[in-house]
Amino acid sequence: MAALLRSARLLRFSPSGSLQIVGTKRNGPPLSRLYGGAVGGRTTGPCTRQVACGVGTAPRHVWPSASSSSGTMRCYAVSTEQREAESSLGVRSKQAQQFDWALHKLDTSVKKTGRITRTQLLRIFHDICRTGYPSGNQALLLLRSCGSLMPEMAYAERTELAHRIWDKLQELGALYDSSHYNALLKVYLQNEFKFSPTTFLAKMEAANVAPNRVTYQRLIASYCQNGDIEGASTILGFMKSKDLPITEAVFNSLLTGHAKAGDMESAVNILPVMRGAGIEPGPDTYVALLTAYADKGDMENIKKTMETVEAADSSLMDRDLMQVIFSLAMAGHHQHIPELVECMRQERGFVPDAMNMCLSLITQGQDDTAFTILKTFPTLQADDVNSDSPNVGNFFLRHLVNMEKPVEKILDYCKDLQDANLHSSPLLFTLLCALEDKKTGFSYELMKAVKEQGLPLRPHFFWPLLVQPVKDRNPAGVLEVVKSMQEFGVAADLETVSRHILPAFPNMEAARQALEEVGCSLESESFVSAEIRLLATSDLAALYTTLSDPSFPPFDFRGSLKGSLVAGFKKSDNLEDMVKITEFLYNDPRFCRENSTPAEAVSFFLYNLINSMGEQDLRAQEEKLRKYFHKLKSQNIVISFNIYRGIRNILASFNVKSLIKDVLLLVDPSDTAALSLPRVTGVESKLLNLEKDLFQLKEEGKPGGAVFKQLLMLLCSEDQLERAMELKQEYEDQLDAGAYATLINTYCRHDNVEEAINLKTEMSRKDSSVVLDASKYLALVKILAKHGRMDEAVDMLKEMKENKVMLKEQNINTLFHVFNTLGAKGDIEGIRRLQDTVFTLGLTKPTSNLCSPLVTAYLENNDTPGALEAAMDCQKRFKQMPRIHDIVVALVEKGDTDLLQKAMDFVTQERGEMTMLYDLFFAFMHTARYREARKIIETPGLRARAGRLQWYAEKCIVNLQMEPLENMVELTAKLFECDRDEMYSYILRLCKETNNFQKAEATWTKMQEENVIPRERTLLLLADILKSNGQEVPFEVPEGIEPRGASDVLRRPSASSMIRGETWYADVSTKEEVQVLTEAPSSRMAVADPAPADPTRDRAGTNHTTRMLTLCKKKKAKEAYGLLKDADQKGVAVNAAAYDILIRSLMAAGSLEEAMQVKDMAVSRVSGFQLNDNANNLLILTHCKKGQTKEGMATLKSMLQADQVPSKLAIARLVQTLAQGPEADAAAIQEVASLTKALGSTLTVSSMLFPNNTALAHIRRGDVDSAVEVLEAVYTAPESLFPSMSYVFRKVLEENHDQALDKLSAMAERLANHFACYRPNTDLFLELFEMDKIEDAKFLLARCNAVAEQKSWMLSYVTKLSKKPGQVDKVKSLFSLFPDCTEKDSQNTYMMKCYDLDNDLASAKALHEQILKEGADLDELSLKRLAGLYRRAGVAIPYTEPPESFKFYAEKLKEKAETSRE
Amino acid sequence: MAATSGFKKVFELYVSKIPWTLANKEMREYFGQFGVVKRCLLPTDKETGFHKGFCWITYSAEESLSNALHTDPHVLEGAKLQVQRNRRHQFIPESTQKNKDSDEAL
Repeated sequence: MAALLRSARLLRFSPSGSLQIVGTKRNGPPLSRLYGGAVGGRTTGPCTRQVACGVGTAPRHVWPSASSSSGTMRCYAVSTEQREAESSLGVRSKQAQQFDWALHKLDTSVKKTGRITRTQLLRIFHDICRTGYPSGNQALLLLRSCGSLMPEMAYAERTELAHRIWDKLQELGALYDSSHYNALLKVYLQNEFKFSPTTFLAKMEAANVAPNRVTYQRLIASYCQNGDIEGASTILGFMKSKDLPITEAVFNSLLTGHAKAGDMESAVNILPVMRGAGIEPGPDTYVALLTAYADKGDMENIKKTMETVEAADSSLMDRDLMQVIFSLAMAGHHQHIPELVECMRQERGFVPDAMNMCLSLITQGQDDTAFTILKTFPTLQADDVNSDSPNVGNFFLRHLVNMEKPVEKILDYCKDLQDANLHSSPLLFTLLCALEDKKTGFSYELMKAVKEQGLPLRPHFFWPLLVQPVKDRNPAGVLEVVKSMQEFGVAADLETVSRHILPAFPNMEAARQALEEVGCSLESESFVSAEIRLLATSDLAALYTTLSDPSFPPFDFRGSLKGSLVAGFKKSDNLEDMVKITEFLYNDPRFCRENSTPAEAVSFFLYNLINSMGEQDLRAQEEKLRKYFHKLKSQNIVISFNIYRGIRNILASFNVKSLIKDVLLLVDPSDTAALSLPRVTGVESKLLNLEKDLFQLKEEGKPGGAVFKQLLMLLCSEDQLERAMELKQEYEDQLDAGAYATLINTYCRHDNVEEAINLKTEMSRKDSSVVLDASKYLALVKILAKHGRMDEAVDMLKEMKENKVMLKEQNINTLFHVFNTLGAKGDIEGIRRLQDTVFTLGLTKPTSNLCSPLVTAYLENNDTPGALEAAMDCQKRFKQMPRIHDIVVALVEKGDTDLLQKAMDFVTQERGEMTMLYDLFFAFMHTARYREARKIIETPGLRARAGRLQWYAEKCIVNLQMEPLENMVELTAKLFECDRDEMYSYILRLCKETNNFQKAEATWTKMQEENVIPRERTLLLLADILKSNGQEVPFEVPEGIEPRGASDVLRRPSASSMIRGETWYADVSTKEEVQVLTEAPSSRMAVADPAPADPTRDRAGTNHTTRMLTLCKKKKAKEAYGLLKDADQKGVAVNAAAYDILIRSLMAAGSLEEAMQVKDMAVSRVSGFQLNDNANNLLILTHCKKGQTKEGMATLKSMLQADQVPSKLAIARLVQTLAQGPEADAAAIQEVASLTKALGSTLTVSSMLFPNNTALAHIRRGDVDSAVEVLEAVYTAPESLFPSMSYVFRKVLEENHDQALDKLSAMAERLANHFACYRPNTDLFLELFEMDKIEDAKFLLARCNAVAEQKSWMLSYVTKLSKKPGQVDKVKSLFSLFPDCTEKDSQNTYMMKCYDLDNDLASAKALHEQILKEGADLDELSLKRLAGLYRRAGVAIPYTEPPESFKFYAEKLKEKAETSRE
Repeated sequence: MAATSGFKKVFELYVSKIPWTLANKEMREYFGQFGVVKRCLLPTDKETGFHKGFCWITYSAEESLSNALHTDPHVLEGAKLQVQRNRRHQFIPESTQKNKDSDEAL
């Protein structure tokens, strides 16, 4: 008995028990005992005192936290090793995942309520059985749950469940070790199950599992539970002979044993015996004694014992008293219970414990005692009716219903609860429980009471009872409920009839008849409506007949029929009926609401219809819908443009765009005019046009107004400041606030503080009521602060406040940067002033981010006390503790213990001890004082804070610091609730960053050592690292999920191969091979594959196939080919997919002949064999590589005939080969162009592929004029988008074809001069530049300086350049040729990117310094890049690195570029 | 286009914490005091036969919606309902309307 609540107690203790840093309290402040290394002399040694625990197992091991596998989990993991080796790794990782899930589920339940429900456990049990291969940890988890964790189940049932689980899992192959047997014993004890210990031991022996100390202890407990001291003594002797220590738990059992045997004297005597053996009786000993007295009802001794405990300066927890109360109740001494209940202190966690005791009591039939306890529950202070009503006792009532206690008794409890104001509606809640359990009779009895109490009974109360019979299509069952409803006087409403009654009947007729028989009214509105609803989903023709009857009453079909009609239409295949009904509703005004027209109602119905269909439905029913729409059109049904737009958006979002045009048919033609698109024009021409317009307006003497503003904005955004100022002078009178704001902002951006302030003053002078927006104000504050004009900056902030300017998130970011710039300069005074102004004015709330620059400033000045003071001040004033980690680190580094103590006291006081310990831990970690860090993390009661651990891990990963990360992972090995898999995955992530596969491999070994079951994603990450380093992966990579970053890994080589030009061939083949291997089953189905009749033959075929595929995978295509020939000779069948893969592997290896031979074999062996798309594409590529253009063409044609889609690459190669080949076949290129044109949008080859190559073909044949003609046609076409012809120039330049170059550059010049088309010239310029023909390029520029204005093309060239390493000089020289090609800022960004790629810290540093000298800002992305350079060089970063991720700033920059372009 | 303009703005409430004892009818009646209820959607769990504890109330006028929103608390048969404006987009979300107007519909 004593053990009943023990497990729950420990469980409650471990996952959610309060932090108990006993040691800290008892041994003085933590620092004095921890701070050893740096200061010395003060060490008092680590406090390793463990939290007291009664039973043999340490509390933290009782409930293994998710993925942690310390303690007991280690035992079984070893013995299951063998099994795991057998089952595949895939299964194993699946298991791990499932284990995680199951554990998490149960863990949450235990944490929240201290118990597990039967349903929860059974669901997990079934899930585990279904997947098969239960692992040891799963078995343990399930077994452990079958004891006192389920207070709602009777003891016998629990044991039975445990046995069922035991047998079933064993049958499924789970291997049991001592941990499992011990767990079973625990369950026996908790369930007071009578068993024979000797048989149990024999069973263990038979299973070859050695009992351990825990086993013996539990067997003793079992004997003692039955008062069998002799049996217990045998085991005790056994333990002694084995030299096993006798623990407190054993003595406690013996105490119970003597008492159970009726020998109280010996029981009491155990205490001195214990002391004699050197073991002080603990709380558990006293609980055993108290329980013994409780069994006897000896209240006097109970009180005495409790006094003894008090006197011993030890105290009993509520949980302990509950055990005593439980024993009193079970022994029938109810009269003493109230006195003990009084003694409970209702400490933290009282309620869940007490709830579990109540449940146990009810299960054991002690309902009244349970109710007594329930009434002592603390009630939530119900301040008024409006707060959530009190509902004490829900669990109690529910369990009474579950146990099917007599209704009268339950009603009494309900009344009591309500009278005591503990529950607002106990009766209705009880009814809810009964209905949820579908206890029909029980529910009716309760309903009777409900009715008697004058509470309403509603039709939907019966729905839960109708669900099952309707599901079973059981009309009789439904009628039973309907009858009861009538008896209760509850009329079935529309919803009840249509949704919960009618569906049980086979048809309307049957329903009518049956309902009539039980006396149900059929004329009611609800029945009629229900009827048409049913018809809508079952019989559209009948619906039409019913509705078209003129006597049918009018109703709003959108209200009561729409849903059913949508469902009916989705199901129906009868277009005629659908159209008939649609048309009918469209024309008959009876069925729509008053203020709308039937046409509107119907078009909205169409929208609902489409909206209700998912992608799958839409695709499947596309044809039906198309016909439907066409028929509607022929019936003159019109929908509004708005409805069309709604439907179009749905169709577009599901990618069923082909239906859109059919819907458009229904739109009123006059409505479609709204579809015209605005024309987009470039910035240059826009400027030009605006200037022209403005000039014209001036000529006409009209005000410039909007045009002027537009022009001004555009000039500002293009940074044409001079022109903008000219414009300002010219139109002084038309300057409004917006114009000023734009100008001010532009000057701020250019760091021209004088001009910006002048403009601002001028603006205010003109109109003092004008208010700038937040970003403009802050821009001003920023440059003022930057130039040290603090007074003005403060005034500006005050003005913001006066004008009630609101700060948005991005503004707050700017504010932070203003502060931080000052912080980096160490300008404490400046920050303080601005910060104080901002916060006192209340412009924004103080955040940790905004507070941090002040601390930064102190730290910059190396003033740690000041920094601490500032942080503490922030905490006091704003509840923020910025940069506390850095401060603590600084203090630890300086060894300033007094200040450190002060800091820690402060953190403890403000944020709690746990936070303090973590702060200290990380500071020690950061300063590599791992010994001290260990002491901290091993503080008893400390638990894992995933967020904080992650924070530090991410920090290590970003800074590429393996040592502290590894140390942290090691130090947290025993930390309670620490997710080990997560911890190891951090190391792996860092390994990936540094590409350190040796470390990754070592990490994996370590994980095995610690018995961590890796999650799938961890395995994938590991495999990824190994693979990308060309290492063999020693396990099978879990399939199905793409690893993080794996898609990049796949993509990267193919993209770069395009640049290298050489290896594209092999890359394409491997990539596609991967694809085909995964597609293999489907392609096998697609190609006719006659199944071989002979099963042995089949097996041989599979065997061969597997070996062949393995060889293919290993790029040993020739060997695979040999294998195939061998198989073929033996007459072994190989399936189509295997042929396919082999063919492609051979082609990938360049063995075209063999590939063709295999193809021939395949054609003759597998009827209907055809190369698939990928193979054909590869074939074209192979032909091209060998210069066999004719064959390539033929393959292309055959592909198109077979409806296959050639790849872009294949077409491009073919065309290029055609242009390059000796024939230089322009006509053939044209043919490819027209052949592929038919493919339309499915294939988007570059628009210049054909013209460029055609031109090249002409050039190679010496016909430059034709080439010029082709290209000129492209650029003079009216709709030309001016595509690039760089490719032609490049080829011509490479081949030194002077004649062609002359003519082509003449063409380019002509196009530039006559048609203002600068693309060809720009292309030529860039090609010349690219080939370092700088003089030629300059010459070209002199002749056609418009090239310099083609900024976007220039920029895209720079962007391309800066992606490759070693291009920095080129980029620099391009910028020197075109200083205006882009803003200075973005030039810097590009330069920084180049330096980053080249790993050139020195130049990058110089650039940064120069920028700072110029007083400009470097964007965050570049700062991030620079920080990376510093880090890689192992140099400390001399500024604060922007905190967000690289991607974040990249996006930000992109956004900025886009907005400035707009 | 009187009706289509109604599609863009939907005056809808999201009501949660509805006790199981209340059904569609009760909700309509209660929220009808603030204006005409165009629609009341209280989804039912097909497996259990109980409603899911939340519903959407659609009004035809903005005024009704704000009437309902300005009332606090909403207590019905002793239970306090949680009432908020529904943020779910109903028909064509304004934002997509703007962006998609120019896309290639034809």
